[in-house]
Amino acid sequence: MRAAAVSDALLEIENYSGAFRNEDGGLVPVLHQVSYRLKTGKITAVVGETGSGKSLTALSVLGIQPPTFVRSSGRILFRSVDLLTLDARGLRAIRGSEISMVFQDARAALNPVFTVGRQLADVHRLHHGGSQRAAMKRAVEALSRVSIPEPERRARQYPHEYSGGMAQRAMIAMAALICQPSLLILDEPTTGLDVTIQSDIMELIVELTRSRGLTTCLITHDLGVVAETCDEVVVMNAGRVVETGSAEAIFTRPADPYTQRLLSASQMLEAA
Amino acid sequence: MSRLGYMMLRRLLWVLPVAFGVVTLTFFMARVFNGDPTELYAPPEATDALRAQIRARLGLADPLPVQYVHYLGNLVHFDFGVSFNTGQSVAADLSDRLPATLELGFVGLALGIAIGIPAGVLAAVNRERWPDFALRGFTLSGMALPQFWIGLVLIWIFFVSLHWLPGPVGRLPIGVALPPKVTGFLLIDSLLAGRPDLWGLALRQLALPAITLGISTAAPIARVTRAAMVEAMQSDYIRTAVAMGHGPRAIWFRYSLRNALLPVVTLIGGIAGHIFAGAVLLESIFAWPGLGQYALQAIERSDFAALQGFVIYASLLYVLAFLAVDLVYMLVDPRIRA
Amino acid sequence: MSSDEVMAPPSLPTSQAQVHARPRRRRWRTTWSLRIGLAALVFYVAVALLSLVWTPYDPLVPGIGDGYDAPSLAFPLGTDRLGSDMLSRLMMGARYDLGIALTAVAIALTIGSALGVVAGYFGGAFDTIAMRAVEIFQAFPGLLFAMLVVQAVGAGIVNVILVLSFVGIPDYLRLARAEIQAKRNWQYAEAARLAGNPRWRVAFRHLLPNSVGPLLAFTSINAAFAALVTASLGFLGLGLSPNTPEWGNMIARGQDGVMTGQWWVSFFPGLAILGLTGSLYLLGDALADLADPRRRR
Repeated sequence: MRAAAVSDALLEIENYSGAFRNEDGGLVPVLHQVSYRLKTGKITAVVGETGSGKSLTALSVLGIQPPTFVRSSGRILFRSVDLLTLDARGLRAIRGSEISMVFQDARAALNPVFTVGRQLADVHRLHHGGSQRAAMKRAVEALSRVSIPEPERRARQYPHEYSGGMAQRAMIAMAALICQPSLLILDEPTTGLDVTIQSDIMELIVELTRSRGLTTCLITHDLGVVAETCDEVVVMNAGRVVETGSAEAIFTRPADPYTQRLLSASQMLEAA
Repeated sequence: MSRLGYMMLRRLLWVLPVAFGVVTLTFFMARVFNGDPTELYAPPEATDALRAQIRARLGLADPLPVQYVHYLGNLVHFDFGVSFNTGQSVAADLSDRLPATLELGFVGLALGIAIGIPAGVLAAVNRERWPDFALRGFTLSGMALPQFWIGLVLIWIFFVSLHWLPGPVGRLPIGVALPPKVTGFLLIDSLLAGRPDLWGLALRQLALPAITLGISTAAPIARVTRAAMVEAMQSDYIRTAVAMGHGPRAIWFRYSLRNALLPVVTLIGGIAGHIFAGAVLLESIFAWPGLGQYALQAIERSDFAALQGFVIYASLLYVLAFLAVDLVYMLVDPRIRA
Repeated sequence: MSSDEVMAPPSLPTSQAQVHARPRRRRWRTTWSLRIGLAALVFYVAVALLSLVWTPYDPLVPGIGDGYDAPSLAFPLGTDRLGSDMLSRLMMGARYDLGIALTAVAIALTIGSALGVVAGYFGGAFDTIAMRAVEIFQAFPGLLFAMLVVQAVGAGIVNVILVLSFVGIPDYLRLARAEIQAKRNWQYAEAARLAGNPRWRVAFRHLLPNSVGPLLAFTSINAAFAALVTASLGFLGLGLSPNTPEWGNMIARGQDGVMTGQWWVSFFPGLAILGLTGSLYLLGDALADLADPRRRR
């Protein structure tokens, strides 16, 4: 069974535990034996309330967890390599090109003093080389691919000239199309956006995942988003994984009382 | 563009009330506080009639409000009056001395920036390690030490003890004639005159005051650069850059520094405003014939016209420095440009 | 705990790694800045007080040494051109530089923040006029203003103090105004008003105390600046009478000696200034960290 699990999972988190170090040097445990797997080619949702540790775990995958976090145990296996043992160079080889990430507030996540096109082009040259001009061309193509109107003009604009939804599209273009990773992690990508924009963005994510054969990890507190789009669901609460399973199983037969509460709170139970 | 033009115009117009306020403040302060300078210019045995004559020549015979209106009237024609001290028009005096102050200021500020920004970046990327602590010691001393003391110590080390650099006797060694005046900057005029030897002499004279100025401006610049870099490096957009796989060099120098420069620009503008108004004490130590010395003499000799002329120049410069900061901001920060 | 350290993730490869400061180190830095700053300040105060009752020699009497005596056992810091003992003069100087700076800053803090609270809380015409005045005043070179006034009204401790405090007022006005404006619409202020407190009471008793941290932090920095200006005035011979052992004055007196190799006359007063202003800056930094926990991160 264990062997089978390795074969169909791109990323495996095993018994990941850790704590925040507070100002006095004391440790406040926040993650308890977190384990879940991201199956190759599937969309996995990690669901939980704010503070459940879902983002922290995801940030750890890329080694960009907050500085005060101290790991006490666990492994994060990507293609059977433990990411937690990689040095700076090794991590950098993974970041972007193998595992890429989209953040919550896209307007803040883009650098305010460079044009969006330039930022995409920079990342393109970082991973694929080539001339500035060619990279810019790919950036415009990527913006166009995520349905940003007038991509040439938009590429010359700065993040503050983008709406939240537009900025998130650009961010997705950067993380999914420019980087061309095998694993895409999205940390609350639709939080803070209008409802209609949210569903557009989700459609885009699903479409890109399917068409490019990505493995996608969607971190969200919004069960509504999850139901229609995801294949697998991981439910986290207070730093623990309380339930994992296929989306269908979780929504129709939630086993854990916390999952049941979460579902009833968002009224998905009746809907399902 | 139109919005940029509008902002610039508003800024420029704001110069007027500030200048008016400064003029008025200086005019009355100089007279109320400084009293009557007639005694300074009259021989001790002067008769009352002679005194009255001198007073009239100094323009002090009229009642104060009349003098004030008269002065303002002249100012409109850019007539700052005549210095009691030099007997020249104040405008001519100021423009004579301006190049010395500007030359020292430019070189000193350039040194300060060239040292301060890299030092701040170095401290920020090595935060809480030894380069950071070393820099903290440097900025603390740079800000805590009086500029004139730094100057004296440098003179002691490099002139008195080591004989590497010439003594504090002004812009050129004593007895060396100035090159023909074109720009007023000796480092430029000497080359225009085809005198590389003079260029070398001028540079050696400039070295110590410029280094002093450089040290004391580098300290606050480094401090602000460090703080701004640290803040930029904790931002969301830097986290993105890291997640996309950018290396440390790109993260520090391309992505963080550009953002961190914004507050540094503001600081440099303020420093420039002060420096180009003449570093009074520094010029006095190095016998540098600039505006600072001129102002000091004007104060010591109750030279109203000269003093007022200088203060107007200095405050305009200050406002202009901040105008320049706004302009640079617009170049660096796209959010304002829009 | 030690096993946690061993298990900690490998060093991070980016800026983040460095930004990943260690919280204990930061806290350590703040407390030590505070301790060193305070200790140095206490030391200066102690020296100033001690100089009232004891100095190695009479600081004001010339001819104790031969003039320009190098530092030795008899004169640990040497003597100046006139043969006065440098150590004694430095000790007495603490009274001037410390006393002038602290008094001036206390006056500026009181008046400036009172005006700032009024401007910030009540706004209106007073606010407009105050801010315009501040803007005009700040376009005026501060040191020059001090020089001008001191030259005019004459040298003397009281004059120097008054001028320095006047120069400091605009900064406090701006700072206090900004602080109060930021807090004026807090629910907390609203609650105090609804509870029937008169407006001035809300401003001064409820809001101002919340801004004490930033104001004190600035005061410490400002005191360092005031000490530097005091020394500058003394150096120019504008502040106090020539024989006063104020440190700037002493540096000026040693200026000729520097050119002929008697460095100690100008050198030691500069170190004394460095110690005083440096500790004030340290204290200011630490206070700012404490006042704004976000800065500590």
